[in-house]
Amino acid sequence: MSSSMPSHKAQKMMELLPQKLNRQVVGSLLACVHCGMCHESCHYALTHPDDPRMTPSYKADQLRKIFKARHDWTGRVFPWWVKATTPMTDEDLEKLKDIAFGTCTNCRRCTFNCPMGVDTATLNRIMRGLLTRVGVMPEGVRVVSKDTWELGNQMGVLKEDYIDTIEWLSEELVDEFDDERAAIPIDKEDADIIYAINPREVKYDPRTITNAATIFYAAGANWTMASWGWDQTNFGLFSGDDELGAATWKHLQETFKNLGGKRLVISECGHGLRSTRCEGPNWAKTDQDFIMESAVITMARYIKEGKIKVDKNRNSQPVTFHDSCNNARSCGFYEEPRELLEMVTTDFREMYPNRTENYCCTGGGGAMSMAEYTPRRLKSAKIKADQIRETGARVVVTSCHNCVDGLSDLIKHYKLDCEVKQLVDLVAEALILPGK
Amino acid sequence: MHGDNGILPIVEVIHWIALGVMGTVYTLRLIWLFKFPGTRDRQLPGEERGSTSIAVPLFSMGNVAMPWIMESTRKNLLFYASFVLFHLGVALGIILAFTNTFTALHQNTWVASLFMILMGMAFLVSIGRVVRRLVSPVLRLISTPDDYFSLLTLTVWFGLGVAAEAHLVGMLRSEIWLVAYLVATSFFLIYVPFSKISHYLYYPFTRYWLGRTLGHRGSMSVSRG
Repeated sequence: MSSSMPSHKAQKMMELLPQKLNRQVVGSLLACVHCGMCHESCHYALTHPDDPRMTPSYKADQLRKIFKARHDWTGRVFPWWVKATTPMTDEDLEKLKDIAFGTCTNCRRCTFNCPMGVDTATLNRIMRGLLTRVGVMPEGVRVVSKDTWELGNQMGVLKEDYIDTIEWLSEELVDEFDDERAAIPIDKEDADIIYAINPREVKYDPRTITNAATIFYAAGANWTMASWGWDQTNFGLFSGDDELGAATWKHLQETFKNLGGKRLVISECGHGLRSTRCEGPNWAKTDQDFIMESAVITMARYIKEGKIKVDKNRNSQPVTFHDSCNNARSCGFYEEPRELLEMVTTDFREMYPNRTENYCCTGGGGAMSMAEYTPRRLKSAKIKADQIRETGARVVVTSCHNCVDGLSDLIKHYKLDCEVKQLVDLVAEALILPGK
Repeated sequence: MHGDNGILPIVEVIHWIALGVMGTVYTLRLIWLFKFPGTRDRQLPGEERGSTSIAVPLFSMGNVAMPWIMESTRKNLLFYASFVLFHLGVALGIILAFTNTFTALHQNTWVASLFMILMGMAFLVSIGRVVRRLVSPVLRLISTPDDYFSLLTLTVWFGLGVAAEAHLVGMLRSEIWLVAYLVATSFFLIYVPFSKISHYLYYPFTRYWLGRTLGHRGSMSVSRG
């Protein structure tokens, strides 16, 4: 093969680029003026001051260079003038993989700080998607994607194991309350609520399912979980694979339609909420035709409507709240968790900056499944560790399973004296149950 | 009107031709941009703040005038001030290029002073930006030859603008300053659509689209930014 010819994978990747181009993306590719304003918004850039490659515009430029070389007038005629270039070898693709997956969590903080409105995080996700399509991705991403395609959930939970776990939790609840109505319904038709969860819950943290089930029981909710199409997470968001994203979302949509539910309630998960609530319909090219909401909204409504009673004094430790990037910056979901926190805790301390300006926990963008980048990720977590330390909180609350893992990791690494909880845990803790 | 110098009328004709070229290229560029498929968010508006109204996209477009909205400008007000001066200089430079024949206007001491002071400050800011781009490792890494060339030539243009205004008000006798300024402007009119300087053409669209997406989801709002 001539050295002037791109490798097969590089060629294929470039051929796939036009599928990703729409007006908004092209606008972001054209509008960057290389002002460097995004630099100080990035937790990787701030914690790696000696490595200019961590600056967001450099990461986005990796895609911009290819776009310019293949599509932009100036770049096609005078490529050297605008640094337009294309990857030629498989080694080039490996370098792009390291940048797209290993130096960015797609947290979108740079997007919010760009004067031009360049959506750098979206450009990085597109780069991930192109690489994924030609098989260039971290091993963890490959495994999770494969599990999702094959088993319909990202952690490879077999249907039998899932049912077993739910039934086991259900029996415990019935025993605890000595009431058959405390059981967890599976595949119940025409329920008011279909509750979709993160596979992490069934595999590693079933306590959150128990807590949610207890709250539904206390509220007298007509609810169910599904035996299929129950994973509200979506690795397509992280891998950039829109096809996987659409397929995963359609599982939920089909389940919802088949069971005839009235409302899909999504357990606490940042990327799950974003994928299911916001991006899924776009990937599947389907208008949203059923109601979805975060479990946080459901719980707050139960309290406001008096369906459940809580005693906030049961959560008297100082707590702070970490905004999931996907919740806050990509779903506009940041006031509701605070509203609920005020209902179930007595000593809430705001973390700064917060809401759409919050820093990533560093576990976002699928980073927890990419072990090869862990040292870099933990170094970048110093900002979040400092943020938490300054609050003096003993409990960091978050509404996201990825954040739970990311925060737990950094708490251990930076030796912080606190633990991570989700809102469902705090609500269950504060719940006043008859006879309890 | 200007005197009977042989060069200036020719330069002015070239200047207007260059403007026509720029307009044509810009039009083609926008046609090209709009040939890419449009997008929309298919989900229902997000939570309680999500909105499909046009208010948030318009608010997003006004971002340039609201440094308190973004952390990056809020924490770097000096840089923002330099941005304002730089772009005021550009605006006045363009006005000068198209009004220089109105000698009465530019012979007004106040008007001439305003042009010279602001374009002079833009000149200094521009020099500062060249230095910043050369000194900062981050900016060196991401800068292209186009970035350097655009900035350097704009610096020269600001300097020529001050000199041209000084000529119009009678402080500099030689018309060569005005001729050089108009030639430089003509060059820019042709070069800009192919360079990074054309970012202002895209700004309304990128900001509008981002505001539409984030406004729909409730991540960006007029009340909170």
